[in-house]
Amino acid sequence: MRSRPGLVLAVAVALALLPQAAPTQAAPRSFKIAVVSDVGGRGDLSFNDMAFKGGEDAERDFGVRMVELVSKVEADYVPNLTRAARDPDVQLIVGVGFLLSDALAQVARRFPDKNFVGIDTFAQSIVKEKFSAQYPLPNLMDIVYEEHKGSALVGALGALLAAQYAKPHIGGVFGIEIPVLWKFEIGYKWGARWATEWLAKNRPDKAFTYRKDFVLWTYTGTFSDIPKGYAAAKAMYAKNAVAVYNIAGPLGLGINQAVQEIAQSQKLRMGPPFWIGVDANQDWINPGFVIASMMKRVDRGVYYATRWVRDGQFRDLVRRTQGVVTLGIGTRIAGQLAEGISVSTLDDLDEFIRMGVQAERLTRKKVLPASPAEIKSKVKTMREAQPKWVWDAVADLEKKIREGQVTVPMVVTKPDIERWRGELGYRPRSFLAAAYRSPQR
Amino acid sequence: MRTPRALRPLTESLATVALGLVAGGLLIWAFGHSPVAAYRALAVGAFGTREDLLETLAFATPLMLTALTFAVGVRAGLFNIGAEGQMYLGAVGATFVAGMVPMPAGVHLAAATLAGMAAGALWALIPAVLKAWRGAHEVISTIMCNWIALHLSMYLAINFLAEPGRAERTVPALPTARYPVLSEESTLTAVLFVAVGFALVVYAYLWGTRAGYELRLAGENPDAARYAGVRPERVVVLSFVIGGLAAGLAGASQVIGRPPAWSLYATLGNVTTLGFDGIGVALVGRNHPVGGILAAVLFGALAQGGRLMEYEVGVLSELVRALNGIIVFAMAVPELWTLLRRRLAR
Repeated sequence: MRSRPGLVLAVAVALALLPQAAPTQAAPRSFKIAVVSDVGGRGDLSFNDMAFKGGEDAERDFGVRMVELVSKVEADYVPNLTRAARDPDVQLIVGVGFLLSDALAQVARRFPDKNFVGIDTFAQSIVKEKFSAQYPLPNLMDIVYEEHKGSALVGALGALLAAQYAKPHIGGVFGIEIPVLWKFEIGYKWGARWATEWLAKNRPDKAFTYRKDFVLWTYTGTFSDIPKGYAAAKAMYAKNAVAVYNIAGPLGLGINQAVQEIAQSQKLRMGPPFWIGVDANQDWINPGFVIASMMKRVDRGVYYATRWVRDGQFRDLVRRTQGVVTLGIGTRIAGQLAEGISVSTLDDLDEFIRMGVQAERLTRKKVLPASPAEIKSKVKTMREAQPKWVWDAVADLEKKIREGQVTVPMVVTKPDIERWRGELGYRPRSFLAAAYRSPQR
Repeated sequence: MRTPRALRPLTESLATVALGLVAGGLLIWAFGHSPVAAYRALAVGAFGTREDLLETLAFATPLMLTALTFAVGVRAGLFNIGAEGQMYLGAVGATFVAGMVPMPAGVHLAAATLAGMAAGALWALIPAVLKAWRGAHEVISTIMCNWIALHLSMYLAINFLAEPGRAERTVPALPTARYPVLSEESTLTAVLFVAVGFALVVYAYLWGTRAGYELRLAGENPDAARYAGVRPERVVVLSFVIGGLAAGLAGASQVIGRPPAWSLYATLGNVTTLGFDGIGVALVGRNHPVGGILAAVLFGALAQGGRLMEYEVGVLSELVRALNGIIVFAMAVPELWTLLRRRLAR
């Protein structure tokens, strides 16, 4: 027993004499990225699945390895981000969804050597508010999207279909009334009005004047209560809306149910009525009845971020953008085209059908409504059944937005939303939306 | 050597933990992972470093309280499964005082904590009164109260406590009403000490006072209790109130004692299931306040250590959850057996 202090000392000396540089001289470390989901997790066919898909694309193209951390409860956000940051091989940690904003701001401060990205988050503004001395955090990037531009495109598409089928309305089912959704709302209405102007010029036979009640809209006050989406959409289709835009995540399934009822009672194989998908390419959910989707490419965000980290551009980009990078239509980042918003096409349907196949394997539940080939042929038939000028007009608007010939209003403040609603269509809010407002507002 | 009688529950629990781990190990092995590597990761992930240990305790904190709710009920002969709803109201009460009622430092934290506990206790009074004076079965009434509490709390959170521009959650607790974070490395705050302290106070009350003795007597043998002059209504109300205070504190702990949000999610997402999880924790802890603390640490370890198990060994998160279930099941069996035997004998 008595010899033990001596032994300890000997070991300590031996350790101290070992060459210190050995570990750092080892082969370059493998490059890992970590994707931390929100509580939606794998198989949500939307935000989280798209982020993981972006990670898989990055694995394929950049030779990185992705580790996935699925958050089961909200309390997992900080520990999951921390777990990833503690792995010495992980160079980039992606938090998916705005719910991770607080957690990202906190963990990014603790690990200044690691790079953090939030998709659709506002982590830097939290840093600004709470830790203003550190703002902007050099290792933290919020990636946000130009939803207003994509919404303008599908708003135009809806109005053009209304002209084609001589229908009086298009509709929009919204979730909780938060400023982000105002971007969708005004973009959508603005696009519809743009289409009426396009028609007057190019298709006078189909033209009609934009009325303030042309776009029917409801804030349901929820992003999870599917029956509310059904109820809102049903009322819109009852007023003969040609298409309803889903801006409430899973409530799209409620909209789909309303469409499906009409389809069954009238034995339709194809719309109208249609609905319009959001975030992912949702055209496969009910092929023939989803005219298109406003895609917010979460996967691109993860993919680009990985590339920026690999190329050593990440921190420089954060410095130049105050940590907020916007992906949209025609957006260029670091001299390269980096887009994140588009209207779904037949070509990108495959990727999303694959996502459905994967979700079926993971959840062991039926996800796809038909075989992939059948889905694709139905969507193709539906698209070809619409006159070419409809698609041409949408492409025209996209080109004009890209080239800056038109500017879609981006509305995120209270005075702006009031003004634009005055111009494009105002109606007292629904009970739910009014009830949602907090007393201080 | 015979085990001292007081330690028997402990040894029984340890034996069932071992059994549960073996069964879980078989499941991990069946899915093609090494159980040894998985359990090593579980242990290292939960206790390996200081920050992991602190995070484990952060996950354990609310569970030891909701376990107390169920345990006190069982001690009084009641199946109080209303911790979930009482906890929601506790979170709402704490959010209101912490986020909307400015007060001086010190007082504010205490007031927000007490508001959460009081809200939980008030909500517990509903099934208590229904049971004591109308004979409504507490299982039914607490389940119903849980659902009402869910929607009531979401309504209150969305309509009266929401933060403008942050639709996903309520106003955050003001800095004066936040428990100090013990270390930047984890989400553990000083609310842990309040939770442990409350559990110990309840232990002292149940085993050291006349009222506590009456409560336990009514649970062990209602006829003898009545013969001895114990008023059953009093016992019912008392046990529900203690349980409600604990559950309310659990809800409050996730708002004023857990960074980084310091608020209640509009979906109640940062508190949901903590009340139900407490039932399993209580069973593992043999319905004893101190046992509940130990069992809560075990559950916290599964939550925190499971992360590394998934990360390093690649055990699917669903499998991690199944492992939780198996251990709970294995550990709950002896207690459930005792409870059932007692019910059947009656």
